[in-house]
Amino acid sequence: MVTKENLKDYAAKLMFDMDDEGYERTLKEFETVEKHMELIGKIENIKSVEPLVFPYVIYHANFREDEAKDSLTTDEVLANAKDTKADQVKVPKVVGE
Amino acid sequence: MKTIMDLRKDLDEKKVTSDELFKIAIEKAHTYQDEFNSFVTIMDKKEEKESNSLLSGIPYALKDNFSTKGILTTASSNILKDYVPVYDSTAYKKLKDAGAVLVGKTVLDELAMGGTGTTGHTGIVRNPWNKNREIGGSSAGSAAAVALGIVPFSIGSDTGDSIRKPAAFGGLVGFKPTYGRISRYGLFAFASSLDHVGCFARCVRDAAIVTDILKGQDEKDMTSLPNEDIKYTDVIDNDIKGMKLFYIKEITDKTLYKDAGEETLKILDKFKETIEECKKLGFTVDEVSFDDNLLKALYPTYITISSAEATSNNSNLTGIPFGPRGEGGSINEIMFDARTKGFSELIKRRFILGSYILQRENQERLFKNALRLRHIIVDKMNELYKTYDAMILPASGGVAPFFDNEIDRMSDRYLILENHMVIGNFGGFPSITIPNGFVDDMPIGINITGKAFDDAKVLNIANKIEDKLGYKGLIKEEYDV
Repeated sequence: MVTKENLKDYAAKLMFDMDDEGYERTLKEFETVEKHMELIGKIENIKSVEPLVFPYVIYHANFREDEAKDSLTTDEVLANAKDTKADQVKVPKVVGE
Repeated sequence: MKTIMDLRKDLDEKKVTSDELFKIAIEKAHTYQDEFNSFVTIMDKKEEKESNSLLSGIPYALKDNFSTKGILTTASSNILKDYVPVYDSTAYKKLKDAGAVLVGKTVLDELAMGGTGTTGHTGIVRNPWNKNREIGGSSAGSAAAVALGIVPFSIGSDTGDSIRKPAAFGGLVGFKPTYGRISRYGLFAFASSLDHVGCFARCVRDAAIVTDILKGQDEKDMTSLPNEDIKYTDVIDNDIKGMKLFYIKEITDKTLYKDAGEETLKILDKFKETIEECKKLGFTVDEVSFDDNLLKALYPTYITISSAEATSNNSNLTGIPFGPRGEGGSINEIMFDARTKGFSELIKRRFILGSYILQRENQERLFKNALRLRHIIVDKMNELYKTYDAMILPASGGVAPFFDNEIDRMSDRYLILENHMVIGNFGGFPSITIPNGFVDDMPIGINITGKAFDDAKVLNIANKIEDKLGYKGLIKEEYDV
């Protein structure tokens, strides 16, 4: 059974938080979700089937030639970053003092 | 209301100029914006590109999850509210090169996750047929813009039924071709194995014209299909005599809907009337039986796969290379804060579900089993496509819902009727919704779904049925100006 603590942990792993009411509503939603998920396990012989990760078998390999192509300029790459310095995105130190 | 071909004729005969068409479209877009909220951005300047294509000079609207260089692209989410892309999506580039004229970027459900058109960061989108009702989503603004007569066509994306459902609610044609037929490069990914690019239009011919321009292999999307030596507009009038259609008994049999409301029963009656019309046209139409347990598992399978894929696809939304910067002393705190403030609760709930599904202890039971189910369903469909040319079903179990209508009709059976179009995404099948008349003064649709790569045939079948039914170019009278 999923608990509120579980939900907080799942959210933290994806790097966000919610207010308490949000977790309460999510917990309630999970009752329906779990009921739905049970339907997935009910299909006979499901384990003998290969998981399908793509709509159909790929019969073509669509790779381009290994040639240099135009790419974004440094200015373009940095255009949407809120804080930049010396052609780089500026963030707090990630290595200890 | 004029179709693409009508406008083409007017342009070629110099009855109107593309500048005038653009001006009219922009004026309409502004006139209806407060009331219906179709757009995040309405263009103030016309893109100038001459071309000999059928779309040259024709105005259109683009969903705000397609990258447009230099034009704000928000995916209707606060986490991208100021994002101005530095490159063009392939779909946008192809339309620009064809001379089509962008009128605006349309509102969607936040990050394309949702089917109501109510969760975008700039507010809800209303249905032109009745302002108190949803237009559906996630391609809500793209549907509303065509239904209001602002543009003759628009572009959307479809991961579960995000083009084909709003098309039904808006009295429009909504088409998503085979997975890979149109490049996804520059479309903000929701669930990559289910995402499709497609269009809204006033008639099947227009949808074929737009798809002819958009389709083709793209070296920037390795899942794009090789080019075909065919123009869809050349084949949509082909003879359909002898073609075979099927519908699923467990979805369409009225006697199975014990607690259904009047509206659903009327939709099922109307569907059966349309089947008779199809037979008169020369189609053979059979009722086939589909394992009920598979049908009941359609929606859970969709939610499982799409939530899991969405969780990882949206991990790039950190507020660091783009988006509003979060506050905090470390890079982790900054990202945590940006994501906490940037996503609405609905999106967070979807992500939590995705995270749950992908936990090591749940992967086998939930994620892999959903992928196995997808395989079983796609195999079953492909088996049917050995005998039949296409499947035909009602596009929805009801007309567009009211905004305040808490879904109270979610019986297992109704859930299947409301969500079966995900089959088209599971198998990448070409799938089109066309209008099927009205119930309680609101438009309804039917959906036709064919075998992967059979886009031409699906358009051909839809065009013939559209001709027979006569619901072409629907628009509410007051917007037909």
